[in-house]
Amino acid sequence: MSASRHAGPRHHWIVRATHWINAVAFTIMVGSGLRIFNAYPAFARKGEQFCCYPFEGMRVPAWLTFGAWLGGARHWHFAMMWVLVITGLIYVGFIYLHGEWRDLVPRRGDARDAWQMVRFYLFVRKDHPPHGKHNALQKTTYFVMPVVAALIVVSGIAIWKPVSLGWLTNLLGGYVWARYWHFTSMLALVALSLVHVFMVLTVDPYSLRSMITGGHSERLSPIARNARPLLGLLPRRQPAAPIPPKEPSA
Amino acid sequence: MSSRILRLKTVALIDRGIERLTARDSQAPVARRQFLSVSATSLAAAFLAGCDAAGPRGAERALAYAARKNESVERWLLRHTSMDRGSPGAIVAGNRFPSYFVSDTVPLFDATRAGPWALEVSGLVQRPARFSIPQLMGLAQQTQRVNHFCVEGWNAVAEFHGVPLRELARAVGVSPDAQIVDFQSFDDGYHESWDIESAMHPQTLIVFGKDGQPLTPAYGAPARVHSPIKLGYKNTKYLTKVVFMAERNGGYWSDKGYEWYGGT
Repeated sequence: MSASRHAGPRHHWIVRATHWINAVAFTIMVGSGLRIFNAYPAFARKGEQFCCYPFEGMRVPAWLTFGAWLGGARHWHFAMMWVLVITGLIYVGFIYLHGEWRDLVPRRGDARDAWQMVRFYLFVRKDHPPHGKHNALQKTTYFVMPVVAALIVVSGIAIWKPVSLGWLTNLLGGYVWARYWHFTSMLALVALSLVHVFMVLTVDPYSLRSMITGGHSERLSPIARNARPLLGLLPRRQPAAPIPPKEPSA
Repeated sequence: MSSRILRLKTVALIDRGIERLTARDSQAPVARRQFLSVSATSLAAAFLAGCDAAGPRGAERALAYAARKNESVERWLLRHTSMDRGSPGAIVAGNRFPSYFVSDTVPLFDATRAGPWALEVSGLVQRPARFSIPQLMGLAQQTQRVNHFCVEGWNAVAEFHGVPLRELARAVGVSPDAQIVDFQSFDDGYHESWDIESAMHPQTLIVFGKDGQPLTPAYGAPARVHSPIKLGYKNTKYLTKVVFMAERNGGYWSDKGYEWYGGT
C-alpha cells in the first residue's frame, strides 16, 4: 500500500478520457464555430438592428478560426458536435452513477468557503483553507461548466433545426436570440476554460498528472504547498521525506 | 515539423497504444493507462497537424461519414407539420433582403429569344407539362410570412406569394419512384436537387411574388423556389425546370462542398 490515503487513482479513467477528448473537441468546436460566425459576424435580422452585441459586423481574427472556409468549418462543427455531446453524456452519466457528483454539486457553505479561498489568494488569509477533493472555487467552476455546455448544446440544436425543432428555437426567443445564446454561452465556457488552464498551470500543475495517469501525492497538493497562483509551486521540505542525493536543495 | 511527419508519428503512437493494449502478457491496468495517455497525445498531435487550415486530410472520410449520418437524423426530424412563421415583431426585410446570383449580371429572362416564360415540370411524372404564371396561379395560391435562413447565419423575414409545390406535383401526377426533385434555372446553370419529403412540405412554394409585389429580377423573377425548411442556397431562383428524379443530382453549392441536404 502506498502512503497516500487514496487507494485508487485521483480521477477514474473514464473521467480522464472524457476530459481530454472534450478538451480537443471543444477547441475544434470553438474554432470552427468562429469560422462559421465570420460568414455573418452579427446577430441582427436583415433590415433590423440588434440591441445587445457591441461588435456587430466585426470578424474574429482568422488565426482563431478552424476549417478554412464556411463549408469546411460546418462539416467539422456538425461532426465534432456528436463527439462533444456523447463524451459529455458519458462523463455526466458516469459521475452521476459513480457518486462523484457529490464532489461537485453546490452545497450550503460553498459561498463561505469560496470567500475564504478568495481571501487566501488575496493574501488576507495566510493558510490554505481546508477542503475535500476540490476547493470551493474549483467546485463551483466544475459544476457550472457542464451546465453552460448544456446551454451551448441546446442553443446549437435550436440554430441547426430552427424549423423542424421550431418549438425549441422559439423557447430561446427565436433564431436571432438562439444564435446569441449559443455565442455568449460559448464565450462563457471559453472564459471558464482559460481560467481553469491558468489555475492548473500556476497553482496545481501536478494535477496534470492526476488527469493523465490518475496518480496523486498528498505532499504535492495545493494545501500541502500552501499554493497561490505562481507561488508555492515547489513541494515543501518535509523531514520524513527522503531527499534524493544528487539534487541540491534550492 | 511538417504535418506529414506529425501524422506519421500520430499513427505510430496509436499503433503502439493498440499493441500494448492487446499484448497478452502485459498487465491490463497498466496497458489501459498507457493507451489512454497515448490516445491523449495522439489526439493533440492530430489536432496540431491540422491546425492551420482545413484540418488533416485523413479526417475527410470521417467528416463525410458524419455528414451522411447527420442527413439521416435531419430527415428523421423533418415533419410536414412543423411550420415556420416570421416572428410577429419582426420587420420585413424588403429590399434589405440580400440578393445574389452566379451570373456576372442580374439574370434577365429573354422572352424575345426563348419565347414566353413557362415552368417545365418533367421527369418521373405521368403528365409532363409547362405552366405559365397565370396557369400556376390557377392551381392554388398561398401567401406566407416566413424566415429565409442563409447558410452564412443571417435570416430575413419576407412575405412570399406562390403555389405549393405539392399542388403542382398533384397536377402532373408524380410517380412513386420519384425520390428527388431538381430545381433548375437560367442563372448560368445554377440548380439544386432536394429530397422529395422537403419538396412536398406545405411551405415549399413556387414563388412569383414577394412582399405584395411581383418578383423582381434581383429576387429571382419570373419565379423561384422558396421554403423556410431549406437553407437559402437550396432555394433556386430564376426557375425554369422542376424535374422529378430517382437519384440525387447534386447542385451548384452542394457540388462545391456545402451539405447537399441543407435543411433547417
